Amino acid sequence: MPIIETQSIHKIYPNGVHANDDIDFSVEPGEIHALVGENGAGKSTLMKILYGLEQPTSGRVAIRGDEVEIGNPQDAIELGIGMVHQNFMLVDSFTVAQNIILNRETKQGVRIDFAQAAEDTEALSKEYGLAVNPEARIADIPVGMRQRVEILKALYRGAEILILDEPTAVLTPSETQDLFAAIRSLVDGGKTVIFITHKLKEVIEISDRVTVMRDARKIGTVNTAETDERELARMMVGREVFMQVDRPAVRRGDSVLSVQDLTYADSSGHQLLKHVSFNVYEHEILGIAGVEGNGQTELAEVLTGLRPPTTGEAYISEEQILGRGPRSVREHNVAHIPEDRLTNGVAVWSSIDDNLIIDRYYREPFTRRGLLDINAIVENGRELIREFNIIAPDGAIPVSALSGGNMQKVVVARELSSSPKLLIAAQPTRGVDIGAIEFIHQELVDQRSNGLAILLISADLQEVMKLSDRIMVMYEGEIVGIFPNDESLTEERIGYYMLGAERQPAEEMERQA
Amino acid sequence: MTAKEKSRPSAGIAEVSFLRKHLLLIIGAIAGIVVTLFVTNTLFDGSMEKMTGTETWQNILLVNALVGGCILLFVVELKRQAIRVLLTVIVALLLGFLVTFIFNLDSADRFARGEFRAQVVSEAEPVENDDVDLEYNKRRGGEFNKPNVVAPVSEVAWTFAGREGDVVSLLAYAKNRRSDVNVLVELRDETGAVLAAASSATELQVEETFDDLVSVRDAVIEGFALPADGLYTLYTRPEEVETGTVLAEAMSQSQLAFEALLLGPIERVNRWGVWIQDAITLILLGMSFAIVFRAQQFSLGAEGQLYFGALVSGIIALNSPHVPGVILIPFIILASATAGFIYGLIPGALKAYLGANELVSTLMLNVIATRFFEMVLNFQLKPADAGYVASAKFTDNAVLPVIVESTQVTIAVFILAVVVFISWLLIRRTPLGYEIRIIGSNLRFADYGGVNSKRTIMLVMAIGGIVAGLAGMHLANGIHRQLILNISFALAFEGVVVALLARLNVLVVPFTGLLYAYLRAGAQFMERDANVSFEVVRMIQAIIILLITAEALVTFFQARQKRADIDETGHTVESLEGADV
Ligand SMILES: Nc1ncnc2c1ncn2[C@@H]1O[C@H](COP(=O)(O)OP(=O)(O)OP(=O)(O)O)[C@@H](O)[C@H]1O
Ligand SMILES: [Mg+2]
Repeated sequence: MPIIETQSIHKIYPNGVHANDDIDFSVEPGEIHALVGENGAGKSTLMKILYGLEQPTSGRVAIRGDEVEIGNPQDAIELGIGMVHQNFMLVDSFTVAQNIILNRETKQGVRIDFAQAAEDTEALSKEYGLAVNPEARIADIPVGMRQRVEILKALYRGAEILILDEPTAVLTPSETQDLFAAIRSLVDGGKTVIFITHKLKEVIEISDRVTVMRDARKIGTVNTAETDERELARMMVGREVFMQVDRPAVRRGDSVLSVQDLTYADSSGHQLLKHVSFNVYEHEILGIAGVEGNGQTELAEVLTGLRPPTTGEAYISEEQILGRGPRSVREHNVAHIPEDRLTNGVAVWSSIDDNLIIDRYYREPFTRRGLLDINAIVENGRELIREFNIIAPDGAIPVSALSGGNMQKVVVARELSSSPKLLIAAQPTRGVDIGAIEFIHQELVDQRSNGLAILLISADLQEVMKLSDRIMVMYEGEIVGIFPNDESLTEERIGYYMLGAERQPAEEMERQA
Repeated sequence: MTAKEKSRPSAGIAEVSFLRKHLLLIIGAIAGIVVTLFVTNTLFDGSMEKMTGTETWQNILLVNALVGGCILLFVVELKRQAIRVLLTVIVALLLGFLVTFIFNLDSADRFARGEFRAQVVSEAEPVENDDVDLEYNKRRGGEFNKPNVVAPVSEVAWTFAGREGDVVSLLAYAKNRRSDVNVLVELRDETGAVLAAASSATELQVEETFDDLVSVRDAVIEGFALPADGLYTLYTRPEEVETGTVLAEAMSQSQLAFEALLLGPIERVNRWGVWIQDAITLILLGMSFAIVFRAQQFSLGAEGQLYFGALVSGIIALNSPHVPGVILIPFIILASATAGFIYGLIPGALKAYLGANELVSTLMLNVIATRFFEMVLNFQLKPADAGYVASAKFTDNAVLPVIVESTQVTIAVFILAVVVFISWLLIRRTPLGYEIRIIGSNLRFADYGGVNSKRTIMLVMAIGGIVAGLAGMHLANGIHRQLILNISFALAFEGVVVALLARLNVLVVPFTGLLYAYLRAGAQFMERDANVSFEVVRMIQAIIILLITAEALVTFFQARQKRADIDETGHTVESLEGADV
């Protein structure tokens, strides 16, 4: 008997979007069930229905054979369903243990028993191999650990069925491996896991069965053993997907961005960037490889004016751009796809149209004689929604009503359409589906062939190797090597540099910079 | 093949119907026209002559049309949410009705036991009138009760010496003129024989005799000529009532009270004026908050800015008795706007450049402004011979010209219309407004996009100040026509409710301001017209306001909550424990 079974689930959002169309979805107890589909296919919606965050417009849900109504997450928790969202919902200022026991506190009289909480957390974390530090504050721990905290929180509440919505999107490859190990031990412990991802390789690696969704409908459920990435991709997109990008050789041009001896220390004095110098040239993608947290984020934010540098300079066409704020950097034709799109990249409560003009609203044709030209703004929105295939009824709806991947497309559309000379792209394809990855990759390469200089930052080493003309490796805030991306460069070799085990000689590095 | 070429059926995405947009417009227009007509109709009892007989009736029509316009905007802007706002108001009113009913049960009981008044008109001499608090030969509605008794007496007799031919009239009515209880009156001679009796007036009497006769429930003995010299007794008591009547009485009382609440403000032109003038203040304040909150700045500085605006315009008014109004009034408007701007700029600058929390700084600045206002008023502006703390009355040239006779509805109506239009233009149609909206939506996105958010935050708080400063000018130069203590009546905080109820939409603020002012005015008239005690009125008002505020706050916080609840990759936490609890 399936542990979860839905029958003809329909979900129509108040704005008329039909996000789930007649979904029969079933999960067997003890399996790892992957759910895949393009951005906006309705995966998150279906999961939110199971977790009681959204109510189906019609259709039935049965848990362990009994028909149930899941009115809110509380009901879901009582049914043993836990969910880890695409974005985390932890209280930043609380410790790990406090977050885990939140609303489930063991009380001693009126006082919350924190010692007990820490113990419980330890025990749980040991049991499932989900290493966390119970005393650390959420604000201070890395993304991977936050995710483990979310999972522990669900387990603490007695989850038997665990829904993970794109858990690997924010993880480094090694963190992903740790997560998979934890998932396996959960399943060994009798739990059931539903797992959403855009990375088909992961699906093949970890799942027992896969359900594919497309355009709000279920295309089918297959046994993982009987399928492969290509077939899944075809089911998802409805056509062949070629994950190769076509990167013609182009002679690189003049230096567009020249960074010289850049140093950045945060307010507590930690040196996050140490004497960084490099160039990005016209007609070139310079990829930064490195384990996340080795200064890549800071580098992007300093270069785009979001943080002031401690020392050092960066020149675009002979002009120093640092320390004068983002507007001035953008005025030098620099575009920026930020790493964390929710925090920096979009204003979710504003319309898509408004989100698409943040870098240009004050210029013609969007502002004429001191007043905004609404037609121009709407036209710009319509144009970009079409060109970048953003799934939305129109540009007037708020970004919050878009699926995760479509939000990313909004950011990419805006930044690529600003006709930049330099693009700083951090995790440009995070959370987008394979079709969109293909599109964004091709777009980046095409623009580079047309002359754009791109500084690419990605946690996905394969992405870096696929797109870059040169690869720069960062380790603990330093550049430890810069290489032309040719046959001789292997993932393995870069790996040594990424872990700090090797380092390019200074003269060689200078030559390559 | 690239994704560009790939055609993806937009299944599941319903087309936003073109018709729906127009449908809203039509519904809004109809609602607007209906309300305009209804208000005008009630105001003039549906009589054309009465309307055209009123001075400046054209302006009344104009203002009513503007009210209709506000309703149109409300419907078109809030769409489905409008229904929710209306439902809240209806629920609040129903709850208020229930409370009124419960309190009326008590008073109905009292009326049923006979709390009534009577008046006597007679040329005869009273024999013993020390028993009864009634004056002889005066049409006076003294209480027909013994003085200083605790419980209401349920019957009263009044004896007097009469001569043959003396004419006696007696009118008795329940203390609440709209009560359902009948009162009985009798005139008895020395032997106790009943010479004349009445328990309720006839329609004819109601229309023609005693001035004070208002209802057929009143009892009246009219122009009775005494047959002979001797002692006579007037006897009055309420008729027996059954328990059922108490409920009916309470019900009808509550209905009356609510009639006063719901129709009171538009029954007479002067009352209508009270509504409109209060609405102007509330709308200006609501607008000020809506603009500032739009940028997610929780500045509560409107109160202080209002005082500052009022003070500046008051001082100018008091010092320019001879400047012609056409010059002085625009100057005063400008000056109060500037005062508000400056007083808004201060917390704005503190926030933007020193990171001072705007909530705290504006509350402090409010205290400073109100105290400063009091001080100047007390020591500088108060005329030496004044008995209470207030400035001299402004000269006419400094008072906003009245546009509707016998009210204080002034050209502030037009100032307001301009303010609404400019606010809309600012928020929706200027780059600055775009920056304000984006900052309100996500400050870090604004920074990332290159918006100078410090400057914008400072400006938005100052702009909110302009509007609040104008509200102060309206209070000083439009309504009170002098500076008085407590000029704001703590209206500023009610402006917060108005803004939240309007979902910070500057085009909806006029409607919510009108609605809120209407309920305030209605409560005032309920107290005056119906026999509902002051405390009960306050309670009813509080319940209504509480519900409306709760609704506004819930929407506001839901929106904030939802921010944390978006399905997205990332690790920001914007709220405590997301929706998964
Ligand atoms: N709150 C909402 N209101 C209106 N429409 C919504 C809302 N949430 C999602 N949608 C729409 O429903 C559709 C399905 O969204 P959903 O988030 O389920 O997609 P998804 O499969 O999780 O995509 P992704 O891989 O990009 O996260 C999308 O078209 C989206 O725009
Ligand atoms: Mg999703």
